[in-house]
Amino acid sequence: MAITAENNNTGIYDSSSIKVLEGLEAVRLRPAMYIGSTGELGLHHLVYEVVDNSVDEALAGYCTEIGVTIHIDNSITIVDNGRGIPVDIHPEEGVSAAQVVLTKLHAGGKFDSNTYKVSGGLHGVGVSCVNALAETLHVEIWRDKSTWEQDYERGIPKGPLTRTGKSNKTGTKITFKADPTIMDATEFNFDTLAQRLRQLAFLNKGLKITLTDERGENIRSEEFFYSGGISEFIKHLNRGKAVLHDKPIHFEGERELPNGGKLTIEVALQYNDSYSENVFSFANNINTVDGGSHLSGFRSALTRSINAAAQQSGLFKDQKENLTGDDVREGLTAVISVKLPQPQFEGQTKGKLNSDIQGYVVQLVNEKLGEYFDKNPAVTKKIVTKAIEAARAREAARKARDLTRRKGALDSGGLPGKLADCQERDPDRCELFLVEGESAGGTAKSGRDRRYQAILPLKGKILNVEKARYDKMLSHEEIRAMITAIGTGIGKGDEFDLAKLRYGKIIIMTDADVDGSHIRTLLLTFFFRHMQPLITRGKVFVAQPPLYRIKKGKSEKYIKDDKEFTREILRRATENLSVELGSTTNPVAEKIEGPELRSFLMLLDELANISRRLERRVRDARVVDVLSDVTLPFDTKADLQNESSVKAVAERLQQTKLDVAVEREDEHSAWMISYKDPTNATRYINTEFMTMPEFRRVRALVKQAARFNKPPFTLVKDAQRQSIANWRELLETVMNEGKREVTVQRYKGLGEMNAEQLWSTTMNAETRTLLQVDLKDFAETEPIFSTLMGEDVESRRKFIEENALDVRNLDV
Amino acid sequence: MAQTIPCPICGKPVAFDDPDMPFCSDRCRLIDLGNWASEKYVISTPAGPNDLEEIPETQPQESPKDRVQ
Repeated sequence: MAITAENNNTGIYDSSSIKVLEGLEAVRLRPAMYIGSTGELGLHHLVYEVVDNSVDEALAGYCTEIGVTIHIDNSITIVDNGRGIPVDIHPEEGVSAAQVVLTKLHAGGKFDSNTYKVSGGLHGVGVSCVNALAETLHVEIWRDKSTWEQDYERGIPKGPLTRTGKSNKTGTKITFKADPTIMDATEFNFDTLAQRLRQLAFLNKGLKITLTDERGENIRSEEFFYSGGISEFIKHLNRGKAVLHDKPIHFEGERELPNGGKLTIEVALQYNDSYSENVFSFANNINTVDGGSHLSGFRSALTRSINAAAQQSGLFKDQKENLTGDDVREGLTAVISVKLPQPQFEGQTKGKLNSDIQGYVVQLVNEKLGEYFDKNPAVTKKIVTKAIEAARAREAARKARDLTRRKGALDSGGLPGKLADCQERDPDRCELFLVEGESAGGTAKSGRDRRYQAILPLKGKILNVEKARYDKMLSHEEIRAMITAIGTGIGKGDEFDLAKLRYGKIIIMTDADVDGSHIRTLLLTFFFRHMQPLITRGKVFVAQPPLYRIKKGKSEKYIKDDKEFTREILRRATENLSVELGSTTNPVAEKIEGPELRSFLMLLDELANISRRLERRVRDARVVDVLSDVTLPFDTKADLQNESSVKAVAERLQQTKLDVAVEREDEHSAWMISYKDPTNATRYINTEFMTMPEFRRVRALVKQAARFNKPPFTLVKDAQRQSIANWRELLETVMNEGKREVTVQRYKGLGEMNAEQLWSTTMNAETRTLLQVDLKDFAETEPIFSTLMGEDVESRRKFIEENALDVRNLDV
Repeated sequence: MAQTIPCPICGKPVAFDDPDMPFCSDRCRLIDLGNWASEKYVISTPAGPNDLEEIPETQPQESPKDRVQ
């Protein structure tokens, strides 16, 4: 070999050094085995190898500054202010210790146990590898008041280490250029180096690392120096994120190892509002990407400590199971750094710490975190709350997956057993009726056009039967059957596939009553939240089953709601009658008939309804009567400022034999009236009362009605005249007149219709009316749904009470 | 200004033209779906117009807290 011959000629090296050279030749033959790759990763690795030696000096307490400079030819210089590599002749090798370090594989290890208590040395291959893979390497050592220098080419010394001058400082400077005949990548990346050097600065607080790049037009330089250590690392990792607590939790401690060595453990953590975990673990500054005993120790102690804190804080009472590791690590940013003598690593990339230190880490983290949680209840509460939320989300995800999983009562085609499908296969022509109740479902099945109409009965589970309340919900099974029948899947993006929609129209058909409106609300809300494209594409409809059937002789008419019913009856009644106002005898009395009479009577109908509601609130018909007097100036809360109007109302109430008093309401600096209701409870007509929708609507209606509300009335039909004392009687008489010659059937549910009736009134595409559901409908109603369906009973009740008059609007 | 509606789970305002609407995030969407799956959504009687008479009337002197059930 040429190398050996040359060295023999110079007479510097003996046979043992040939062995060394053969060692370095092995590095050159199989570089990837030593530095991972000959690409960018390996190239930067060479720098870390050298820097790690300097960091070892810092760990030992002798080095405070490291400089890394990339030169224009992509050679690189690493300089530190440590003690300098020993320059004395190594007793076994017969050359300078520095040369041993630079030429003998794993030579660093020889020094570790003696010189350094703790050493990183990335992967422990040593700086000799760098030398072997360097085209040129120059080392300069300042030690023992002298300057020492030596040059290498591809690992071979150009001469022995030589004293070249005097120096008062100490330290080591290594400049090398990667060998392009071996390394595929030779160009350094500033950001890659910066990232690792920054990490080292975080991990070794007080160590200043400077990175300089001379290659560009302008020299670029960055300095990494963090007195806060890994606590600042956490802040760096969480920059730009919303954190749950301002200051990272930071603690450290030392433990004696059985072999007499010292283990230092440093942990910093902080939660942000994200759902991901960002944890770095280090052993002797090496990023253990696969974790190891230190990380698992930290994790188990974190889980235990947060569970303990959750129990103590009392936030846990609704939680059935303990929080899992995944729960407590949502939004966690943490750095665990341990330093110990002779760490044991495992795995191909040696990214996992194997040393048996888990117990020490667990103990320290339990102790310190427990202390922290005790002293910082506010932060603890936030962390525990976040973990509990994570646990709930995990549970929700499990249940949600179950909704779309195919199992249970499906027929051979994978469809729900309860579905009566149609024959037509072209989805655009198919309709799916979601029908409330098994019996109505049965009627619909018989009444439908089976060629293109499919029926899925839904019953809507009833809860709280013992309280006789109709708490309605869609059961898990029903939601699943519906999702399967519709075929598109749920969610957004890829999860929802409109192309798989099995029906062109999805028609919700429920009873025209409260239960029906509940089921409809639930279904629409589910579609809106989880199958929204069905709504945006106009695929969802609401059927309009009739509420009444009016039959006269052979003709019959179906009516969809109460208001239309009243209108229809009044229309029939007023066809041939008129009403005279104010007097029974005056021949010039004002007379109304036709449309004018009808709209007056419609107004009275609404007034009757709303007065009934007001009566329920005030608990006494006499109070409603007085408050309906249009001559009293008593409409808004401002009228409570006026003592005389208040007294006038009180006087009128007194005349009805009510026990009444006028008092001051200091809260609003106004007058108020108190009275005893029939149960002898005291009730108030005060500021709050004046804003009640029922009261305000009554006042508005009596004013509108005043134009014609002039009793006594005279009902004139043909030649008959009938005197009527007040508007209530008038309305009742006319309604009865309208119903006289017809048969009225009120449908309480779809089930009361036979198949033929259901078909002709509600399902037949030729004659039915469908309401198409529009996304815009939800802008205002979604918050209402949320309130209605919430678990908060009180806010639901309050909402209903406040919006009593608008409840009808919920019937989408 | 774009119209917003509150996320049904966390209450955060969501723009009406947000692709995740009415949810603020996939996470809240999932929690909501889990609520459906575990039958947490209930509409009870007081929601209906014809049921108003069934709301237990409050005794006038009671504080709101006493009238929950």
